[in-house]
Amino acid sequence: MNFLRALAIAIGAFIAAPMFIVIPMSLSDSPSFAFPPTGYWLGYYRAYFANELWTTPTINSAIIATATMFVTMALVVPASFALVRFRFPGRGLVNFLLMMPLMVPHIVLALGYYAIFSPVGLTNNHIGVIIAHTCVSVPVAFLIVSATLKGFDRNLERAAMSSGAGPLRTFLHVTLPVLRPGFLVAALFAFIHSFDETVIAIFIAGREASTLPRKMYESVRLEADPVLAVVSTLLFTLVLIGTAIAAATRKRPVHAT
Amino acid sequence: MNATSVRPADTPAGRKAFGPWRSRANISAWTLSAPAVFFIAVLFVYPLLDVVVISFTDPTLSLVNYREFFSSPLYARVLGNTFWFAFLVTAICLALGYPLAYVIVRYGGTLGFALLLVVAMSFWTSFLVRTYSWLVILGSKGPVTKLLAWVGFDPVPQILFNSFATTLGMVHILIPYMIMSIYASMQKIDPNHLRAAASLGATPFQGFRTVFLPLSLPGVVNGCTLVFIICLGFYVTPVLLGGPRDQMIAGLIGEQIEELLEWGFASAMAVVLLATTMALLAIYNRLVGLDKLWG
Repeated sequence: MNFLRALAIAIGAFIAAPMFIVIPMSLSDSPSFAFPPTGYWLGYYRAYFANELWTTPTINSAIIATATMFVTMALVVPASFALVRFRFPGRGLVNFLLMMPLMVPHIVLALGYYAIFSPVGLTNNHIGVIIAHTCVSVPVAFLIVSATLKGFDRNLERAAMSSGAGPLRTFLHVTLPVLRPGFLVAALFAFIHSFDETVIAIFIAGREASTLPRKMYESVRLEADPVLAVVSTLLFTLVLIGTAIAAATRKRPVHAT
Repeated sequence: MNATSVRPADTPAGRKAFGPWRSRANISAWTLSAPAVFFIAVLFVYPLLDVVVISFTDPTLSLVNYREFFSSPLYARVLGNTFWFAFLVTAICLALGYPLAYVIVRYGGTLGFALLLVVAMSFWTSFLVRTYSWLVILGSKGPVTKLLAWVGFDPVPQILFNSFATTLGMVHILIPYMIMSIYASMQKIDPNHLRAAASLGATPFQGFRTVFLPLSLPGVVNGCTLVFIICLGFYVTPVLLGGPRDQMIAGLIGEQIEELLEWGFASAMAVVLLATTMALLAIYNRLVGLDKLWG
């Protein structure tokens, strides 16, 4: 079946090529989106790091994603324990509530947040974006944390307790260390989910809390700024590094969608 | 799922002492989930409800926004466009994604692993980055235009800012979801089933059609649902790659807020979009079970 092999390679190329194209574009000396580039230089990298209109949104994104990650985990970890370990009245409803943000188109949410936040001064503001991003990150983190918890062998806790450890000691020295990798993955997903979120940020972040995706969107829409290629390359490089690590540490990377 | 743990509420003594609504286990469970429930209810559900309320009350308490939306042929076209577009993108994602997932699972080896890495990379790369790439590739100074000019097109047809560009961009952005879903269900298929079919005289194609394909269908249904639903409400890429003539509902909502400040009308469209999405998810939940969608 050589035809299938060739077809798969062609589809793979269709998926891969547009990602790699940003690398030569970032080194281009052309002021517009010409490809292949007319010449090469590093000027737009300098422009990115020197221009506050780009560095401020980058820092904002980092702040917002970090805060989102912590708030999300603080909400999701206890809730996941409750949902995985207890059967209680209202359990189905809680589960549905936590998953709901994944089902709602972001443009609908953006509209809702704009309506609710602008009268109380939460638009054009980091806290507003952190709140919105936390809501949309909750289901993502919840899926991973609860999957981790379901895979946890509770006999480990029973063994610790029967050997005389109290509940707190058991949690800190047995439960937490076993669950830590899953928690870290969930936190990473929450971070990335916030860092990549675009639509809500476009509508509510304003100038003050403008995130990197918002700035990228405006830059495409209004000015075709070639620095965009630099930002894209930097983001893509992070993905390349992550993929390389995943490929090196496991034979086959695992994805949770 | 996890009913093995010892819970006071389930022992007869516990039930007698506390009653099912007052047991210590229930109180712990509620306490643990309270912060998340409170947060989502106040900061997620409330804004959504507000959109619904605005759609019925702005400018006055009436159905005027819905009447305007459903009576105008312009908006009917936008709605039709949105569904047709989501369908088209889903179909192309399936047509390209299925063979790719098949090769990854059945051929494996270096090629399979490399393809899997490419899909994973694409999945993790911000869709803004990929949208930007398509602006470059299809742009007036891009490689495709140059190629068309070289082949002899004069003038070179416009390939950006139309439904072609949007479809291409959206397929590229959503195909990883399709492939991951199909890959997940194909991976669970025991290759011995195919060997058994072959030993009973099935040709490779018969084996594929009667054994492999049916077993991979759950992944297909999953992938199609995900891609279709994400596509219905997608905002950024159609706005950036598409033209004004092939506007989608999400883009229209954005325009109503950003430029026209038509809150009531924008909210009514948002409610239509939300209701459509929820209805599709409800059907999926009925047929397959919602917990399988994000696997």
